[in-house]
Amino acid sequence: MDNQPTQLDNLARAGLGVGSLAHAPLLRAPEKVRTIFLVTIAAACLPLAAGIVFFGYRAAWVAAVAMISCAAIERLYFQITHIPSLLGRSHAYLTGLLLALTLPPFTPWYVVVIGSAFAIIIGKAIFGGVGHFLWQPALVGRFAVAVIMPALIAPPAASSLQPDRWPILAMSHLVFGDIDQAQPIRRYQGWQEQFEKDQARFNRKKIRQLPSGYLVEHPAAALARLTDPRHEPAYSALARVRADIPGRKPTALSQLPPLKDMLFGARPGGIGETCAAAIIAAGLYLIYRNYVKWQLPVLFLLAAAVVAAVAPVRLAGPGGSVEWVYFPILYDGLNVPATLGAGFTYVNYQILSGGMLLAAFFLATEMTSSPVTTGGQIIFGLGCGAVAMLIKLYLDTPIPAYLAVLAMNTLTPTIDAMWRPRLFGQRHFAWLRK
Amino acid sequence: MLFHRYGKFTGGIDLPEEKQATIDEPISAGPLPDELHVPLNYSDQMPPASPAVSPGQAISRGELLARATQGGLDIFAPANGVVRDISTRDITLTKLRGQSELLAREPVRDWEKLSAEQLRELIREGQLPTFRRPGEAIIDWLEEARRHRSGQLVINAMEDQPFVTADHRLLVEHGPEVIAGASILARAGRIGQVTLAADQQKTENYQHLTAPAQAHGLERVALPRRYPIGADNILLSVLTGREVPCGGKAADIALAIIDAASCFAIYRWVACGDRLAGRVVTLSGPGVKRPGNLFVLFGTNCHELAAPAEGPLVIGGPMIGSVASARSVVGPGCDAVLALEPTSPGVATQCVRCGWCRDHCPTRLNVAVLNDLYELGHVQPANLLGVLSCLGCGVCSYVCPAVLPLTERMRQLKKSLHALPGRDRTAEEKFARHMRRRGTRRRWLARRKKTKTANHE
Repeated sequence: MDNQPTQLDNLARAGLGVGSLAHAPLLRAPEKVRTIFLVTIAAACLPLAAGIVFFGYRAAWVAAVAMISCAAIERLYFQITHIPSLLGRSHAYLTGLLLALTLPPFTPWYVVVIGSAFAIIIGKAIFGGVGHFLWQPALVGRFAVAVIMPALIAPPAASSLQPDRWPILAMSHLVFGDIDQAQPIRRYQGWQEQFEKDQARFNRKKIRQLPSGYLVEHPAAALARLTDPRHEPAYSALARVRADIPGRKPTALSQLPPLKDMLFGARPGGIGETCAAAIIAAGLYLIYRNYVKWQLPVLFLLAAAVVAAVAPVRLAGPGGSVEWVYFPILYDGLNVPATLGAGFTYVNYQILSGGMLLAAFFLATEMTSSPVTTGGQIIFGLGCGAVAMLIKLYLDTPIPAYLAVLAMNTLTPTIDAMWRPRLFGQRHFAWLRK
Repeated sequence: MLFHRYGKFTGGIDLPEEKQATIDEPISAGPLPDELHVPLNYSDQMPPASPAVSPGQAISRGELLARATQGGLDIFAPANGVVRDISTRDITLTKLRGQSELLAREPVRDWEKLSAEQLRELIREGQLPTFRRPGEAIIDWLEEARRHRSGQLVINAMEDQPFVTADHRLLVEHGPEVIAGASILARAGRIGQVTLAADQQKTENYQHLTAPAQAHGLERVALPRRYPIGADNILLSVLTGREVPCGGKAADIALAIIDAASCFAIYRWVACGDRLAGRVVTLSGPGVKRPGNLFVLFGTNCHELAAPAEGPLVIGGPMIGSVASARSVVGPGCDAVLALEPTSPGVATQCVRCGWCRDHCPTRLNVAVLNDLYELGHVQPANLLGVLSCLGCGVCSYVCPAVLPLTERMRQLKKSLHALPGRDRTAEEKFARHMRRRGTRRRWLARRKKTKTANHE
């Protein structure tokens, strides 16, 4: 009886690396961890492809630098420390790709490398590698970059006159255009409409050359002015009141891209954040493959939508007054059917305008940093969604959805330890019956 | 067809059935080997019997070879022969004569006229083991069921392991005898209700069981085949909705479960007066030249049985069986000898916390957290997480993408827990402790009253 713990120690030490057929069961399912990572990389390439289409070759360059630097730093770290890194390389590629998807397309290469270093070393390696880290490593890198060098990931040609204007390519320069050559425009009715207007003016010789891109206000910044109490509200409503009526403030809908552009990606944002259709398609494929439980992303977005629907919003009233609107989903001027048949609502725009979809399907669902049990993932998803939307509405921080995921990742061990459903043979409510 | 349809359980996995090679093969005679190494204990749970013969002695079939020690069973000779060698583990018989065929026998005793006590006495005289893993004496199993006043007897004929078809062929060819054996057990243990649980997809082969089942008052249930519905605790929870407490047995919730081969052996002994000297074994797998269902005598060497087969041999099903060593023999719990392809699943890597082990665990254990405890060496917290209700079904290891030997680790945790000098490991011990505590308080109160009255006086 004395040597029982020793046997356990030996087995624990030898547990890794013993892959023989000595014990039952003698059948194994064919799917291995490497397959999981490679398929996730393949699925994440869909938002990347959408980003390359709308932001040009620089998006591909950022992704390549991120993936290669992540793999190189991982290998370097484990060579220096002489610890075998199991599954390290495929997960490093995945981390690099996800980091690139969260970064803006005009990020310089050295910022990407520094982000990769933070992601791999602090986010993954010091915890012990794959399976042991607490936070999603790509988000650790993104957060470090946002904190340490916010000026370096600011858009080019940004000045005090045009705050927070991010570039997207014009329709004529897709995939191969240079995102740094964007032209500023004043008002943005829609990506396709703007291009057609510029084409007409070019044909009538009103302008010398077609612009290769546009600097557009980030939709999250436009929506932030609706709730940030430090600024005077710039908009009287999203759609109802017209700007040319004297004494009225302009509407936000005239400053925001139309819903079609929000869904298909012709809007500013991180490389992988913009094309909602690509993210949802890739996420559904991961759910089908059982790598992601559907409860997490669905409840993430549901919680975020509910918070956006009920959280109060500031609108400019008549005569310069400011009124707080509670339950914006019921407010008439904030929910307007658009021409395409897809309804424009304030809640839709809040969900689509930041990195919320990418966080829901790819970043919060990382296997290691999310809870193991389905019930735990439900709690995790609800918490992530609510916190993400609250940070987005009321705090002036650049990456609200990613901060929320990082916060809930910190709580994952607690959720895992506390969420213990009834075991086989246990009485119901045994935890109450002590 | 009057098979009822029942519900499901959480978790589990759909395994490929792999039974097409042997499912239609009738039971044939196994080879009579040159030597039989009759084991002195039918399973590791039972102490070995002490030999009652000496080397060189001539033995006839059914003669006593070894006498039971406390908690064990008598061992009887499977065939005529000469004792060649006696070791601590087995008795070797050589110069064998006889056959290893499952012959039909006529009933010599009308068991329906016997009372329950007489039947139990007869079963005790039979010294038969249960034909499953882990094995025990049928009389011990019966006495425990009677002690806990079991109300329902379930015959587990699910056979959900891939490749194994032994019980299925037994039901097809000797089904009425199996049903009669179950009725004998029910009568002996005073168990009111008997249920036969079979695979939903094989019910067309069991049509001939309708009449005997109705004659004996047996209920037949067809269940969808999702591994591991053939595990005792899961089958009972599907049929009755009652769950075996953590660390407990079926008897704790007043249920009894047995397999079809044991019922057949009971019928043979009680009604026909003949002790079964072997069992039906499925010989199958890609490495076997002629797969089939053979009736094999106890003590036959497994490698001799599957003689021209290549690759490692597996005793039992592929999910809960073990790899046969060179000296492994067929015992009552060995329902299949398989020659599987020797593919290595790969090197174990780190747990990535995907949660598939917990998703597919039929007893809803959080296998990922238990694996953490194993790797850290914390044994006692595993008890709180219910590791003692682990069935050892192997589904967690099957689905783990990191190729972790989870089933083996759970088994080690259970072994370490039983070795700990701790308390309250079974429901029975908990109840006994509770009663002892109650007794203590009563005695304390009585003592206080006595001193009070003494002081008063």
